[in-house]
Amino acid sequence: MNSRLLYALPLLTLVIMAGFFGWSLLSGRDPAAIGSVMVNRPAPSFAAPSLRDGQPALTSDLLKTGKPVLLNFFASWCTPCLAEHPLLLRLKEREGVTIIGIAWKNKPEEARAWLAKLGDPFAYVGTDYDGKLSLDWGLSGVPETYLIDATGTVRLHFHAPITERDLKETILPLLRAGK
Amino acid sequence: MLEFLLALLTTATVGVLLVPLLRQRLPATPRLDNDLAIYRDQLAELERDQAAGTLPDAEAKAARTEIERRILTAAEQDAKEAATKSTATLHRFLPPALCLAVPLVALGLYLQIGRPGLPASPFAQHATTPAPQQDDLPAQIAAIKKQAAEHPDDPAALSALGEALTIEAQGVVTRPAVEAFTKALKLQPGDARAAFFLGLHEQQSGDSPAALKRWRALEAQSPPDAPWLPTLRAEIAKAGGAPAPATTAAPGMPQPNQDQVEAMSRLSPEERQKTIRAMVEGLAAKMQDTPADRDGWLRLANARKVLGDHALAGDAFARADALGPLDGAALKEWAEAEVRQIPPGGAPPARAVAVLQRLERQEPNNALALFYLGAASFAEGDKPAAVKRWRALLALLPSDAPIRAMLEARIKEAE
Repeated sequence: MNSRLLYALPLLTLVIMAGFFGWSLLSGRDPAAIGSVMVNRPAPSFAAPSLRDGQPALTSDLLKTGKPVLLNFFASWCTPCLAEHPLLLRLKEREGVTIIGIAWKNKPEEARAWLAKLGDPFAYVGTDYDGKLSLDWGLSGVPETYLIDATGTVRLHFHAPITERDLKETILPLLRAGK
Repeated sequence: MLEFLLALLTTATVGVLLVPLLRQRLPATPRLDNDLAIYRDQLAELERDQAAGTLPDAEAKAARTEIERRILTAAEQDAKEAATKSTATLHRFLPPALCLAVPLVALGLYLQIGRPGLPASPFAQHATTPAPQQDDLPAQIAAIKKQAAEHPDDPAALSALGEALTIEAQGVVTRPAVEAFTKALKLQPGDARAAFFLGLHEQQSGDSPAALKRWRALEAQSPPDAPWLPTLRAEIAKAGGAPAPATTAAPGMPQPNQDQVEAMSRLSPEERQKTIRAMVEGLAAKMQDTPADRDGWLRLANARKVLGDHALAGDAFARADALGPLDGAALKEWAEAEVRQIPPGGAPPARAVAVLQRLERQEPNNALALFYLGAASFAEGDKPAAVKRWRALLALLPSDAPIRAMLEARIKEAE
């Protein structure tokens, strides 16, 4: 009897695996989705020197203006940042969204040249050359984008370049609700 | 090819499952017979030994008990195996069931989650997408920038500048590029390059609907042999737009552009009809210059037929037929154009009969051919042939077809 159970083991394994794969296919689960501990918590401390010459440093006050803001970490060396850049420009120009940019581990002059070449979507832009600020924000790389609501609470955290779908399905509805 | 490989894989899978099922197991009962024969021999030997006095009684008794115990065990074992044999029916039904179930389940899953219509994306195509000589690219871009700086009001230079900036930004249409394209488009509203890249910018900035709208407009106003059409269509497909409906008018027929289509929609029905007729007459005039264009004749014939000029349509079909025999749908259209010219109750003329006979050969149950060839036979006096065709037609018609009564009356008349 025991040996029979042993024979059934491969079949059982197969059934379990097939069940899991079937569930993964049909339930619409996104295996690439990463949760974030930041969401629905007050924004962590925020302070960074400005990337623009002669402008005051960025502080936590910018995140609590009574209006939702987007916080975008980018770098001139990062190709996905390039890909999402037109979306940020659109958000600023067509939707009037306040976007705060942070150049992450990026030489300030290179980040400035990058923005000059592509266009500057940021209302405020800071620099986090040594990556200390990003530690508090749980950053895993660039580009990452946070949506902070009017009360200074993080509502969304994107671990990847934002896409048209993100824009349409999550960012814009939340922003409109926040206004 | 892929389908063949998939079928091969399925066959192999079914085969692997079937081999162990179809392999015959040793039947249990013959084994019991063998075992019992051995035990019987042992018992006989035991008795012989006992009778000869070589085996003490006590030992003989113990040995007998042992053998009897073994017989019982063997019988028990056999009963158990016979019980598992009751799965014999399972064995009988499992192979055909598997043969059916495996391909069916696989096919069902594929149809459910597969995407058979997905266009192929061969590697070769990726490799051939332009990688211009990278070495002199910066020099080229610098030259284009200089050109644009010297001629700030030249749309071609502005458009080239925008493209250069886009290439420089690895294909992202940057803010300065958008500005250059917008200015170029303002200076020269039909600039295809500027329109294409502004569409690309809209798509990249997350506004695919706007991009699709712009690209479709560009597609509509592009000449059919425009070099950018393949790229444009590829981008439209990538942005999620279904390919534009294939326009039935092939090259040769002047394609109305967006403006013309809009102008048409503003006309009154009579004026529109007049404009369409003028276009068809234009095509007819062109066909006089290119009389060997079979497709052109077919297009003209179809246009004439749609407009109701059945005699002229018939002539155009005949011209096309002379260049290459018509068949299939075109032959049917021709036959229709011919029979529409027949006055009610009249007999079909010779050309119509010839076309209908060809149609009947191609499609023996074609109602049009059966009816009018019957009428032709009737007019010739060959009444049995007429009745035969009409009866065949009557059998094909649904019971509530309105022309049944008329047909039955004509059959009666012929008989």
